Amino acid sequence: MKTGKKRVSDNLHRFMFLPATVLFFIFFIIPLCQGIGVSLTDWNGFSDEWNFIGLENFIRFFQDERAINAIKTTLVFGLVSPVLLNIFGLLLAIFFDSKTIRGTTLARTAVYMPSIISPLIMGYLWTLILSPQTGVIDEIFQHFGLSFSFDWMGDTQKALWLIIIVNVWQFAGGPMMIYLAGLQSIPADLYEAAKMDGANAFQLFRNVTWPLLYPAARINIFTNIIGSMAVFDIIMSITGGGPGYATESLSIYIYRQSFNGFAGYATAVAIIMFIIIAIPIAVSMRWMKNKEADV
Amino acid sequence: MKKTVCYIAEGFIILLFLFPFYIMFYLALSAKEDNIAAEWFPFSLQFQNFADAWEQADLGGALFNSFIITFGAVIILVFCAACGGYAAARNKGKINRIIFNVMILSMMVPGIINTVPLYIIMRRINGINSYWAMMLLLACQCLPFSVFMYEGFIRSIEPALEEAAVIDGCTRFSAFWKIVFPLLKPITVTIIIMQGVGIWNNYAQAVFFLQNQNYHTIPLAVSTFFQAYGADYNLLAAGVMIGMAPIVIIFILFQKQFVKGLSTGAVKG
Repeated sequence: MKTGKKRVSDNLHRFMFLPATVLFFIFFIIPLCQGIGVSLTDWNGFSDEWNFIGLENFIRFFQDERAINAIKTTLVFGLVSPVLLNIFGLLLAIFFDSKTIRGTTLARTAVYMPSIISPLIMGYLWTLILSPQTGVIDEIFQHFGLSFSFDWMGDTQKALWLIIIVNVWQFAGGPMMIYLAGLQSIPADLYEAAKMDGANAFQLFRNVTWPLLYPAARINIFTNIIGSMAVFDIIMSITGGGPGYATESLSIYIYRQSFNGFAGYATAVAIIMFIIIAIPIAVSMRWMKNKEADV
Repeated sequence: MKKTVCYIAEGFIILLFLFPFYIMFYLALSAKEDNIAAEWFPFSLQFQNFADAWEQADLGGALFNSFIITFGAVIILVFCAACGGYAAARNKGKINRIIFNVMILSMMVPGIINTVPLYIIMRRINGINSYWAMMLLLACQCLPFSVFMYEGFIRSIEPALEEAAVIDGCTRFSAFWKIVFPLLKPITVTIIIMQGVGIWNNYAQAVFFLQNQNYHTIPLAVSTFFQAYGADYNLLAAGVMIGMAPIVIIFILFQKQFVKGLSTGAVKG
């Protein structure tokens, strides 16, 4: 009996991947495979019956104007946000890395703080500020007797850009911190050497700083694209996808369809969404890899 | 001259990022007729707003649920990811390599894509509106990244350390927990902080699987509150402020670890 027990504990280390693997199978691999099956049915999400309808869901998707609009919204948000996040993150990092002023720790903390807060709750806070008529901004206008209204939330053209701005405001701190870590790992003598060779500030950045920031840029671009393409919380709280369907991303479209009794269709949309997301990620990864190889 | 410009820029940045929080503070402490343009400080000090928001949004219950779920999910995550990372780093068998690579690839798949089929599984295992299933689900979402981090870190530790312990009579499994796991502390802290924040803030999954009000987490409670009290800005701001408070307090207390965590993540990636 005792020897049997000993053998089990001796071999325990062979099964150390087991808990993670089981969890990963139940909550990721199995749903992923099952999703392909569900996407070929008209299942409504709650009944025990469904019919196999082949590729009908996929055909329906491309005939649905609302779905096409959701693709557009997702692509605009998912490509513009990462670009802006990286530009502002890098600018802030460079600004805070220069040692001309003091007190940058406080400023860095202030910039980073919004990114740890739930984007849903942060979005709700912004609605209190930005709502037309009742929001704080319009209240200030009214106080000074101005009839002007800051109505971007209710404007089909501007609402998405407003959400992009709020999103960049909230999450610029993350890329900034990562770029800062990258900047601080560049040895000072590299700059010295380049300066000796007569490089100006722009050349220094172009030829020394930027190439050495590639690893930081890579992780930032990768995580920002994935996060932005799947955007859900912040749109839910600021516009809920409106006005009309103007700011409805694919995630929100999936959410609404699955709650409205179109679970099969929503799963088909999810598969299409995966393909749409995979393309820019693959392209940007390739691009960064080539760039890195050039250095 | 250059210095002055920099200081002005710095002040502007601080203002830009903190001002929305000041507006929240102002609204939460003022009465309906107060206007920030007229009075810069909420002199009417309506602390009652907090009490009302706390009660009407059931924030106490939500705080409890959020805490339980985050705590449980993080423990499951650290256990599974540390073991998994160790297996991937030390045992380079074919199966382990395949599992590890599939996990890495899965990081590209956003969680929402699996929602409907996950719903089927959650129903089958009776996991809708339950703490335990939500913990497992959220731990699984953070698993690939965490396994990846542990694997990288464990590879940089000499295997000789564990081997010495095994010679002294430890099993390999207990050698891992006694010798290797304490060395992993920086990564463990990073994972607890970074993934813990994500789990605490989770909404996209919670909104599907925790529809019962008794299981509402903070984001769900705040969103229900906004749908119910859409016009009372002072009350809403108080709710938002309570909803944000726990994570902001933790951030202020553990600032250094947050920053360190982010940079370790970046260097490893």
